Amino acid sequence: MENHATQNRKWSGRFRYWTDREDILSSLFLFPAVIYIVALVGVPFLIAVAFSFTDVTAGNTSLNFTGLDNFRAILKTPQFSQSLKNTISFTIISQIIIIILANILALVLSMDFKGKWFARFLIMLPWATPIALGTIGWLWLLDSKFSPIDWTFRYLHLLGEPDALLGDTKNLFYLGRLELAKASIILIYVWRMLPLSAVILMAGLTSIPQDLLDQADVDGAGFWRILFQIKLPLILPIMSIAVLFSIIFTVGDMAVVYVLTRGGPVYYTQVLPTWAYYKGIESGALAEGAATALFLFPVLLAVAIFVLRFSRRTEVT
Amino acid sequence: MAVIEIRNLSKHFDRVHAVDGVDLAIPDGELAVILGPSGCGKTTLMRMIAGLEKPTSGTISIDGVDVTELPPRVRPIAMVFQSYALYPHMTVFNNIAFPLKAHGNLSKAVIKEKVEWAASILGIEKLLERKPRQLSGGERQRVALGRALVKEPKILLLDEPLSNLDAKLRASARDELQRFQRRLGITTIFVTHDQIEALGMGDRIIVMSQGKVMQIGTPQEVYHKSANTFVATFLGSPGMNLIKQEKYLLGFRPEQFVPQETAERKDDLQLFPFTVKRVEYLGAEQQVYGTVNGMNEENRIISSLSSETNVKIEPGQTYTFAVHKDQLRYFDPDSGLLVEPGQMGDLK
Repeated sequence: MENHATQNRKWSGRFRYWTDREDILSSLFLFPAVIYIVALVGVPFLIAVAFSFTDVTAGNTSLNFTGLDNFRAILKTPQFSQSLKNTISFTIISQIIIIILANILALVLSMDFKGKWFARFLIMLPWATPIALGTIGWLWLLDSKFSPIDWTFRYLHLLGEPDALLGDTKNLFYLGRLELAKASIILIYVWRMLPLSAVILMAGLTSIPQDLLDQADVDGAGFWRILFQIKLPLILPIMSIAVLFSIIFTVGDMAVVYVLTRGGPVYYTQVLPTWAYYKGIESGALAEGAATALFLFPVLLAVAIFVLRFSRRTEVT
Repeated sequence: MAVIEIRNLSKHFDRVHAVDGVDLAIPDGELAVILGPSGCGKTTLMRMIAGLEKPTSGTISIDGVDVTELPPRVRPIAMVFQSYALYPHMTVFNNIAFPLKAHGNLSKAVIKEKVEWAASILGIEKLLERKPRQLSGGERQRVALGRALVKEPKILLLDEPLSNLDAKLRASARDELQRFQRRLGITTIFVTHDQIEALGMGDRIIVMSQGKVMQIGTPQEVYHKSANTFVATFLGSPGMNLIKQEKYLLGFRPEQFVPQETAERKDDLQLFPFTVKRVEYLGAEQQVYGTVNGMNEENRIISSLSSETNVKIEPGQTYTFAVHKDQLRYFDPDSGLLVEPGQMGDLK
C-alpha cells in the first residue's frame, strides 16, 4: 500500500512538472499538425515548384533545370490562356454573386422566424456534401436528355414548342453549349460556396451589439440606412475573410469542372486545376502541369495578403 | 420639451411581467429618475417609451399624441444607451451627424452647423475627427449626448449613462448632466440603479420594483416619507431599519438612530436598549451593527454614526440609543404600506 502511494506521488510529481512546462506541451501538441502539413502540403508544394523549372516527364525521370521554359511554353498554348481566362472570370463572377446572395441569406437567417433552425440546416447541406458527389447530382440535373429542369420548362410551356420563350428544341443541352456550360459551372460554384459565406456573414451580423442597432433605430434610420451604413461596414472585415476563403476554394477546385464538363466543349471550360491535371497527370507532362498549377500562386498570395491587411485595417473594435 | 403620459402600461415576456400596469405623467422640462434594482423593469419601461419594445397593453402619449404604435424613428425622442452605442466605424462628426442624415432633407451646411452647435455645448469640438475607440469614457459619453441632442428631441432618455464612468468622473458628470438639462429645459427620463444619482439629480424619483411603480415623489419625499417597506429599505445605504412589533413594523433610518446623549433634541425621544455586535469603520462614518433588546423577534439593526462622535462604542456592550418620535415610521406588516400617524388608532 505504502509503496504504491509513494510511487503514485512520484509519478504525479514528475507528470505535474512537465505538464506545467508550456514550451514542452505546446511543441508536443503542435507536432502532429506540423508533420501533417509538412508531409502533405509543404513537400508536394516544393516538389511542384522544383518540377516547374525542369524538363521532367512521367516517362523520363531525369531532371534538367530549364529555367522559365515551361512557363513560356504553356503561355503560348490556347488551352492555357483559355483556362486562365476561365479561372479568373468564373471566380470573379461567382464571388460577386456569392457575396450578394450570402448577405441576403445571412440577413434573412439572422432574423427571428419559425423553423429558423431547419432553414439553417438546409442551407448548410451543400457544404456538407462531398463536392464531387454534389457535382454528380448536378450532372444529372443538367443532363442533355433527361434533365428535370428541362422537363419543368416544358411543363410550363417555356421550352420545346414553337414560339416558346426558351426555344423550340426539346432540351437546352446545358453542358454542350458553351455559354450555358460556363453558366452551369458558375452556378455550381455559387451553390457550393454560398453556405459557408452565409454562415460566416451571419456570425458577423450576430456579433453586432444590439445596442448599436437600437441606437440607429432611435436615431431615425430605416432598414436600408441601417444595412448600408451600420451593418455592412461593421461586418466588412469578416466579409473580406469570407471572400478570401471563397476565392481560394474556387480557384483551387478541380472537381466541379472535372466531373461536370471535363473541360468541354473542346477545351473551352477548362480551368487551371483541371488543365494542370490533364497536362501533368493524364498526358504525363509533369513539368508543364506543375507550371500550370503554380501559375496563379503569386496572384493568390498577393490577394490573400491584401485581404488580410484590408480586414485588419477595417476592423473597428 | 414635452409632457409624457403613460397609462396602465404592461410588458409581459411569457410569464414574466417585466412592466406591470405602470401609470406615469412627467411634466414638461422635468428630470425624472426611474430608480430600482436590476430586473425591476426600469429599462424595459424606458425601451417602451423609446419604441424599441412593444407594450403588451397600455398607452404612451407625448404632448397628447398617442405614440404607442409608432416606430422609434418617428417618435420625438433621443436616447443614450448605457454602452453609449457609438458607431465604431464613424468619426465623432459622423456619429453626431447620423440622426440628422437619417431624418433627411438637410443640406450639408446645415448638418455641419448643427453638429458644431452640439459639439460646442458639450465641449467636444476638438474631437470631431476622431474615432470612438480613440476617446476616453467621459468623452464617449459626451459624444453620445451630442448625438442625442443634435436632432433637438422633445424627450431625452438616458439609460444608466454614468455607470461606465469611474467613480471620480461620475460625480462631475452628474453635476454637468444636471446643469445641462436645466439649461436646455428638455424633458428627461434617467434610468439608474444608483440611488445617489437618483437622489442627487432627480426632480422626481420613480421607484420601481418587480415591474410596478412603488412610489413617485421628490427625493425628499421618497427618502423621508417612503410609501412602503420596499422603498424604505431600498433607499439609503444602509436602508431603513425595520422592527416587527405587535401590530406594525417600526422603521427608522440608521443615521437617526444615535446614542441618547448625542441626540440633537432631548425631548420626545423613543429609547431602545441596543446591544452592539460589530463596529465597522468607514472613514467619515462608522456603522454599528447590533440588536435592539426586548423585542418579540430577533432583529438586526444598524446605526450610522459620525466617526467624530465622542461616545465610545464597543462591541458586546449595551447602550441606550434613541430616535426622535417624529422620525419613526410605521408600516402595515401585511401590505408593507406606510401608515400615517393619524391612522395609527386603527392598528393599535
